[in-house]
Amino acid sequence: MRLLHNYHYIGAMVLFCIGLYTVIVRRNIIKKLIGLNIMETSVFFFYISLGYLDGGIAPIRTGGADPSRMVNPIPQALILTGIVVAVSVTALALSLVILLYRQYGTLDVDHLMRDETAQDSGVGEEEATQ
Amino acid sequence: MKKLLSLLFISALGILLLYVVANMPPMGDPGAPTRERVIPRYLEEAEEETNTTNVITGIILNYRGYDTMGEVTVIFCALACVLAVLGREKRGRIYAFVDRSTTPSSVIVKTMVRFLVPLIILFSVYTIMHGEISPGGGFQGGAIVGASMIIFSTIFGLWEASERIPQKLRAPLEGSACITFFLVGVLGLIGGGNFLTYAWPRISSSLQPAVVTWLTVLVEIGIGLGGAMVFISILFSMSREEEEIAPAA
Repeated sequence: MRLLHNYHYIGAMVLFCIGLYTVIVRRNIIKKLIGLNIMETSVFFFYISLGYLDGGIAPIRTGGADPSRMVNPIPQALILTGIVVAVSVTALALSLVILLYRQYGTLDVDHLMRDETAQDSGVGEEEATQ
Repeated sequence: MKKLLSLLFISALGILLLYVVANMPPMGDPGAPTRERVIPRYLEEAEEETNTTNVITGIILNYRGYDTMGEVTVIFCALACVLAVLGREKRGRIYAFVDRSTTPSSVIVKTMVRFLVPLIILFSVYTIMHGEISPGGGFQGGAIVGASMIIFSTIFGLWEASERIPQKLRAPLEGSACITFFLVGVLGLIGGGNFLTYAWPRISSSLQPAVVTWLTVLVEIGIGLGGAMVFISILFSMSREEEEIAPAA
């Protein structure tokens, strides 16, 4: 029953699927971004649980802690980097969303696409009349 | 229709991932392939080599210093992009959301926030300075400072918040993480080693551990300060609200 023993990985998988579903189906851009963040979190969760050790201790060498019982430090260091990059991506995406909202007054993707096509066709008509 | 299609696609992906998970080595196994080569060496020798008790800090700042330098540059680039898109907050035209709402925040909330924010910042200083001997570090401390400013600007509005941490103070400090990293790297070159060598070969070996410790602390402070200022600047430039661009729909 290796599948049941690896239940952390299954949890990460479920989170990833939820995030992907949110990104695909939701029409609100903010909700899409939340889905993206859920996907990122699932990847972090997967990495951290890769470094887990049964009965492990934190990789801090105080009080003569035994190095062979410490959890794997590499995923934690990598994920610290990953979290910062995720924060940067989210900040940039949110700023673009703010700009979109100021321009169009809506966050609905379908509305945004419709506005885009309406503007395009409007420009085309003007050129045609000219 | 679209929902059904995407559900089908995602369940197919889920089954594929489940198959992969079923074939992975058991979790928490001490003999797992993820614990083979470099991990025992890091765990056993990081304390002597990087002179930090916290192995993760040793890895981030010493073994993988280039990586972290790139990461710091990534945050700085994110700030630059946000400022290019939104612009800095402009004093005099700021109307935070709370200021415009009809119900001002109550006295209890204001007093508690005024009481808590200094303590949160004190805790972040502890997190930054204690990063190499306990859980914590520069990024975490910077994030805590950013969180404290989120609380403050939510309750008191952007005007008050950007009066406490003015633009003139923030602008020079935003790049301090990159600058500190670069300076420490160049100091490593001057000390006779490679770029980002903490243990300078030119000085006597009895002095080296102290130099390594102080350089690590210096880099942590740089990252903490720079990260905090970057987070606060991003927050402020996002929460700018101008009267004429009030939500239309």
